[in-house]
Amino acid sequence: MTQRFAPDRPAHIGQPHLRRNALRHLAGRGAYVSDLALPRMVHAAFLRSPMAHGRITALDLDEARAAPGVIAVYSAADLNPMCQGWTGVLSHFAGMTSPAQSILADQEVLWVGHPVAMVIARTRAEAEDACEKILLDIDDLPAVAGFAPALDPDMPAAAEASASNLCFRAELKTEGAAAAFDGAALVVEGEWRFGRHTAVTLEPRAVVADYDPASGQLTVHHGTQTPFQFQDVYARQFGLPDNRVRVISPDVGGSFGMKLHLYHEEMATVAASLKLHRPVRFVADRLESFTSDIHARDHKVKARMALDGQGQVLAMEVLDRTLIGPYSTYPRTSVAEGNQVIRLMGAPYAMPDYHGVLEVLFQNKVQTSQYRAVGHPIAVQVTEALIDLAAEKLGLDPFEMRARNVVADDAYPCASATGYRFEKLSHQESLRRLRALMDYDGLRAEQAALREKGIHRGIGLATFVEITNPGAAFYGVGGARISAQDGAVVRLTPGGEAHCAISVTEQGQGTETIIAQIVADQLGLTPDQVKVVTGDTDATPSGGATWACRGAGIGGETALRAGRKLAEQLCRIAGAILQAAPESLALRGGAVVDAATGAERLALAELARIATYRPDTLPEGTDNSLSVAQHFAPQGYPFGFTNGVQAAWVEVDTETGLVKLLKHWVVEDCGRIINPLLVDEQIRGGVVQGLGAALYEECLYDDAGQLLNGSLADYLVPMAGEMPDILIGHVETPTEDTILGAKGVGEAGTAAAGAAVMNAVNDALRPFGARLCQTPMTPARILAALGIGPTERDETWN
Amino acid sequence: MELTGSHSLTQPPETVWRALFDPEVLARAIPGCETLAQTSDDAFAATVKLKIGPVSARFKGEVELADKEPPFACTLSGKGSGGIAGFAKGAARVTLAPEGTGTVLSYTAEAALGGKLAALGSRLIQATAAKLADEFFTRFADVLNETTTTATTD
Amino acid sequence: MKQALELQVNGEAVALMVEPRQTLADVLRDSLRLTGTHLGCEMGVCGACLVLLDGKPVHGCLTLAVQAQGCAVTTVEGLDASGEIADLQAEFHARNALQCGYCTPGMLMTAQALLKRGAVPDRAEIREALSGNFCRCTGYEAIVDAIAATAAKRGAA
Repeated sequence: MTQRFAPDRPAHIGQPHLRRNALRHLAGRGAYVSDLALPRMVHAAFLRSPMAHGRITALDLDEARAAPGVIAVYSAADLNPMCQGWTGVLSHFAGMTSPAQSILADQEVLWVGHPVAMVIARTRAEAEDACEKILLDIDDLPAVAGFAPALDPDMPAAAEASASNLCFRAELKTEGAAAAFDGAALVVEGEWRFGRHTAVTLEPRAVVADYDPASGQLTVHHGTQTPFQFQDVYARQFGLPDNRVRVISPDVGGSFGMKLHLYHEEMATVAASLKLHRPVRFVADRLESFTSDIHARDHKVKARMALDGQGQVLAMEVLDRTLIGPYSTYPRTSVAEGNQVIRLMGAPYAMPDYHGVLEVLFQNKVQTSQYRAVGHPIAVQVTEALIDLAAEKLGLDPFEMRARNVVADDAYPCASATGYRFEKLSHQESLRRLRALMDYDGLRAEQAALREKGIHRGIGLATFVEITNPGAAFYGVGGARISAQDGAVVRLTPGGEAHCAISVTEQGQGTETIIAQIVADQLGLTPDQVKVVTGDTDATPSGGATWACRGAGIGGETALRAGRKLAEQLCRIAGAILQAAPESLALRGGAVVDAATGAERLALAELARIATYRPDTLPEGTDNSLSVAQHFAPQGYPFGFTNGVQAAWVEVDTETGLVKLLKHWVVEDCGRIINPLLVDEQIRGGVVQGLGAALYEECLYDDAGQLLNGSLADYLVPMAGEMPDILIGHVETPTEDTILGAKGVGEAGTAAAGAAVMNAVNDALRPFGARLCQTPMTPARILAALGIGPTERDETWN
Repeated sequence: MELTGSHSLTQPPETVWRALFDPEVLARAIPGCETLAQTSDDAFAATVKLKIGPVSARFKGEVELADKEPPFACTLSGKGSGGIAGFAKGAARVTLAPEGTGTVLSYTAEAALGGKLAALGSRLIQATAAKLADEFFTRFADVLNETTTTATTD
Repeated sequence: MKQALELQVNGEAVALMVEPRQTLADVLRDSLRLTGTHLGCEMGVCGACLVLLDGKPVHGCLTLAVQAQGCAVTTVEGLDASGEIADLQAEFHARNALQCGYCTPGMLMTAQALLKRGAVPDRAEIREALSGNFCRCTGYEAIVDAIAATAAKRGAA
């Protein structure tokens, strides 16, 4: 192919270019939605259900309406008729069901935190004061809170509109699955419980909706990853033309998947602005974040693995049950995580057969849905725990066990037993790199020496495959209006610099920086000469934006193609000016040069000046356009898979149950690396989120469905003092589906960090015959595994 | 959450029993009680202001007495709504046993919280509830001593 | 009932009327529009709202505005303008020690307070000093690197 990426181009791609937009944050000049104050702006607060399930028997808003500063008080009767309502099902998840949702709870409340009434006041404090004055009476209904009630056929459904608590069931089975187990020399098995946790973005969800009746324009300042998705949702839900809906996502204080779902509060805020004709602001407080942001995981997995006498994996059998909320989340559904769990099982390994079953169950807790590394940590943890169990039974070293089983680097393209098609991965090379990077043999010797002194350290390994660059196969085919393509407009400014407006968004990953690097390389400029604009539906072409690790792979390719298109156009104009064949020209060092000799022919600034101010001097018929638009959608593989391997080195205090993270290693292959500085920091941040889930983070509920730890004092997040240094190595296997060759990297760290740490903890505890199979691995659970304290599974197992 | 406790009182069970049903005594004994009114023979409506952990709330609720075995045992159950703070509910089995000329009052109580109170106060609820129970019975004894002393001097 | 509050903010004299229940963070953000001070947990555990009150780091979310009567408050905007953390900011930038930036002002406050103690802290001490600053994006390592590098340079100077 002549269009292949050529590394000998004047390359900013691949360089650790610094993020210009970081300088604003370092000066305290970030511009988040939660910072926004508009003329006439009013503030929203919500009265929420204190019960997990119940029927509203009284709701009296009169006293609240008369409270100081109050502008309006709304119930379901006021707001719900303003919108269509939404249902979180997609047609490619055959047979799935979910009740319809609307803005405020109408008659039935379905989880603790379900918004029942909305108060709009001059200040948030006054709105909260007025919430105190609302009379709300709720009659308790049975709450489905946990696996036992959700699976109990005699238990009423979590929502009266549901026929049962089964939201979705799926089964994957190869023909030889049963026979593989019958003929196996070894079968290892276990059951794992993955606690519920949540995104805990430091900036909570924030929205300012501003409807101007004079222009018919709705502007929503929305801290989200996906402005175009919300433009479409608000337009359809409220019956507005989509070109009269503008969604602006400025700086976003963390998102991680959590801020791309549709929430009741955001819909209510838009509805209130449509009613009041003035800007309405809602910013969640931390407790509201815990009770209304989506949660993730909450899975229980039963799995076994069949192997032959040489330790070759023959098949896996998996039953994954997951508890979501009373509804499936819109617009991506709450079943996508389980769907990925059962499809990613055994993904790194040459495993011919598989049988997986997924059951997605409703319950009366806040909805679960996509959060960083959707499904990956669960599939990786189960697979890698089984691999370690098998290695132990067979007397094989965990490294050797993996080396025997990973798909060979020369065996691509190939497909997994679960149906995923892999273009090219690098498990063998990644394992080799990791072994050297961590000095595996030295570490094993150190571990053995310390055992003699009663110090219990463990090494854990976890290979993984990550889904990135999804095409329409992810959601679009199921009917979701979620764009699988992206768009960019690149232009040469009259001063000879560049401007790129692109549909992918920035939440601190460095999207704008890598787009600048890519465009700069196409136009022969430096990244600092390329201004990148993101996060405004009025300013950029429409596209999917940033989720599922698609920003670099799809957004980057869009920018590259747009940049090339503009380069060709600039060479045409220059050709006309210079009376040279456009093909003989190229762009380098801020100028049009002779492609063969590199000799400068015309500065870009001069070209821009002529095309902008003196187009009359161009030969007749010359197209003087200095802007081009380009869209791109992946057309080859449905997903761009990446791979890697992680290792954890931990010490377990067998008297206190505390785990000390000593060091962590990651070798990752995300294809073409556009900016190593940003890639490494993505991986590290991802690892730390995975470590949080493995050791600390859990949304705890009682049997009545009451959340018990709704604050950062009670819900533990990873802090600097507990985190290890994280060493990173790379293998670069570019995808051939695109010119750029980049895949995603944002979820790789989270995908396997927990698995590596669980294997490390179990390695440390091996002499005690103790084994952890529940996350988070709290000190109490570690002591229980050691036979100290209660030995029964704790209540959160169910 | 379960709470148990016992308190020795100097009055005989019959006196204690009557006091348990006396709105004036209860109003003075219940920590943070702002209003208390008898709504039927065995039921009271109350407004109570409490602080649990970081959350303070004014509860409006009802207390009912049931399974009465005068003057030895009864069950008190109540549910209070604390507005945006959530709700609290609980039940206590109270038994009165004679001890010399006085009474030993014992109770086994169960309490649950909902909403913001549960999300922010769970960690502190055991300690808070134990403190509130202790405060109630201490004040109950004080009020009882006062009223019975007044009665004898009359 | 609102009451009068007079204080110095980033070297400027400020007088305004505040409600007794308003926090210092709310007054800085909402009344003075110094939005570099962020709110993350509203209970003093995440560190996003740290500001200097008479030179000492305090949580803006736990400090009532009226408690700052007559005090000198320095926010990240003030530290930036004075140039006293320019080296620290440069090291943060060079190591990409921030992503979304929401924790960054608090991180800078803690780092500057630590560095002002004089001794050159080691990595473990830096991690310990950051125990009240939550960052969801970075994994902390680059932040530790940036503070360590600044400490080393200031120590050598």
